[in-house]
Amino acid sequence: MDNQTTSVATDNIDTDSLSNADKSQTLDDWQVLSPVAILYFAVSVFKHLLGNFIYLIPAFAFSYKSVLEHPYIWLPAILVAFGLLSLFAFLSFKVYRYRLTEDNIEIRSGIFSKKHLNLPFSRVQNVKIEQPIYYRLTGHACLQLDTAGSSKNEAKLVAIKLDFAQQLKTRIQNHVHDISLDTENLSADTTGIENDSVDSQKQEVELNQRKLSDLVIHGITSNRIWIFLGGLAPFYDNIFESMGEWLTTLGIDLSDLFSLQTHSLLEVGLAALSLTMLIMFVLVSFSVIGAIISFYGYTLSKLDDKYIRRSGLFTKHEVSMRLSRLQMVVQKQDWLDVLLKRINLKFEQSSSFASNLNTSAASSKIIVPSIKPHECQALINDAYPGNILNTLVSDDGFEAISKRFIWRNIVYVLMPLWLISAGFTLMNDKLMIAALISGLFVVLSGLVVLRWKRWGIAKDENFVYLRKGLIGVDYYCFPTYKLQQTQFQQNFLMKKRQLATVKFILASGSLKVPMLPEKLAYKLIDEGLYQVESTQKSWM
Amino acid sequence: MLESSFTNLNEPINQLPAIQSLDTQSLSEQYAPLNRLINLCVTLFVCVLGLAIYFQPFIPLPNGLLNVLPYIIWAVAILGFLGTWFSHAQDQVKSYALRESDLHYSSGLFFRKIVSQPITRIQHIELKRGPIERKVGLATLQVFSAGGEMHTFQIPGLPVDIALQLRQFILQHKDVVKHG
Repeated sequence: MDNQTTSVATDNIDTDSLSNADKSQTLDDWQVLSPVAILYFAVSVFKHLLGNFIYLIPAFAFSYKSVLEHPYIWLPAILVAFGLLSLFAFLSFKVYRYRLTEDNIEIRSGIFSKKHLNLPFSRVQNVKIEQPIYYRLTGHACLQLDTAGSSKNEAKLVAIKLDFAQQLKTRIQNHVHDISLDTENLSADTTGIENDSVDSQKQEVELNQRKLSDLVIHGITSNRIWIFLGGLAPFYDNIFESMGEWLTTLGIDLSDLFSLQTHSLLEVGLAALSLTMLIMFVLVSFSVIGAIISFYGYTLSKLDDKYIRRSGLFTKHEVSMRLSRLQMVVQKQDWLDVLLKRINLKFEQSSSFASNLNTSAASSKIIVPSIKPHECQALINDAYPGNILNTLVSDDGFEAISKRFIWRNIVYVLMPLWLISAGFTLMNDKLMIAALISGLFVVLSGLVVLRWKRWGIAKDENFVYLRKGLIGVDYYCFPTYKLQQTQFQQNFLMKKRQLATVKFILASGSLKVPMLPEKLAYKLIDEGLYQVESTQKSWM
Repeated sequence: MLESSFTNLNEPINQLPAIQSLDTQSLSEQYAPLNRLINLCVTLFVCVLGLAIYFQPFIPLPNGLLNVLPYIIWAVAILGFLGTWFSHAQDQVKSYALRESDLHYSSGLFFRKIVSQPITRIQHIELKRGPIERKVGLATLQVFSAGGEMHTFQIPGLPVDIALQLRQFILQHKDVVKHG
């Protein structure tokens, strides 16, 4: 792996020092970042502040007139804030030092509370390269190293040259790889996952890329709209009020438009419908914009046994994951996805690595947004050769759960609620509400049946397959040996009918299948445990 | 070192070790009575506290509270007693089993649950002993896997020497030694 790094142009301090480090094996002096880092620190502080003060924006927006009338207050205030921000960014840059040795990285940072981070390469779980938009001109990037531990333990090298970051990444990953090759004692022949990395070609293969049109579809189908709506909830009153005012200035009177005295029911209905459509359109375009920002220029490629995902419009993210770290593939289809025949595919790894990251673009699980079924199948087959998910889906080879599931949820959960509320409203002579409740009861019962229909489980020699969903449908597939723990659950009613619930616990989360035949539940657990214990394959 | 003894993937299903027929061990005999005693004491303490507040002559209580307090005390007493009785019944059915390469813990009276933890997936082990447990010589064995904190496998109410033996067994287990 060393011969790779020598071919790099040595036109700046960072790359220079790496080639030195490789030659002399150790490098004791602390390195300073490129001054571009000041920008990074400023932006991150600004983002942090923005995150905290975003709730003040509506208040500010409503009183901006009076604020504007007093420039002698806000002008100095902004100047002082700006000065403090730059001072902070500059100081952060000044105190930041890092040091690389053969198998170790050290970072010293912090103005008030000093931090000294020491991270051996062998502990690194995940390497990520991030390139914010303002780094693109200078060709810098951030290198983030995730560890299995808590989020506080993660290291981020801010502002190093992009090619240096790439080299460092391969160096760290090769290091990790070598270590794991040593410890995983020659179990290479069993799966082909642990291929010999030395003689296999170092050629990156592109597996998938997303066009802009795919991202638009993803934006429409993904449910981000509802999250957005939820976040806006506290401001509904203000928004509607100001919108009403705005419409009035345009000559549209809402109360007049929706008044049943002056218009027919049809007119009012049409007006309401078109207004809803308009709002929906705006929200959908927000979602589309969000999807484009996080997934622009999406590529998924494979280098050796590593999957690499690159995407992002402003900030370019690069996430890589070793195939052996993959715990489970999830194939998700919402109801719109079902209509459009698109699939969101997720490669999930251990949740402890993913929990440090919040946004979907930065998350260390690899999502392939809105792909077509055959592409999805190709990707799953690439990750898990020998899986039969495709034939299971087309032949409906899943084992259904017991019909008691419908019975239990309708009779023991929905029915009492319905009877009580319908009885209560009927006693108060509110016929309309009782009818509405009954309608709701029928719809919910229908959903329970649909839910039952979606549940399904299958297992072959190496994999467990799971199907669930409501209107959409999701498929889960994991190699049986990745199991961490199993749970068998059964209450006294289920025991009488010889049913049981099985819970599979994986490093990426748990999966529960309710109301299986008892025999099947025992079989799933016994075989699962047997496979974990007999194959001795590492889950990482 | 090599797992040559484990190549029989096509073994007939009915010969696999089954969790249905585990050789279960019950917890320490002290565990259930001790828990019952603790629960009763807590219930009693809350009731006495309520009574003390009701009858104390120092601070005049608001009328609303004065009217409700006796009912609350009754409710706590009844619920506490029922709860103690029920959890005692549950404590008596808790059991665990140790096989060559996995641990099992089963619990629950109306809601049975069997948790199985392969030893090869264990990340680390903890022996937890509170002040009362130390007094009577009991211990709780906690086993952590990569499944996350929500799914920590634990066996309460073990006699200390058995807990130590279990821990030793797991630590020296070939699967754990190999995967560190």
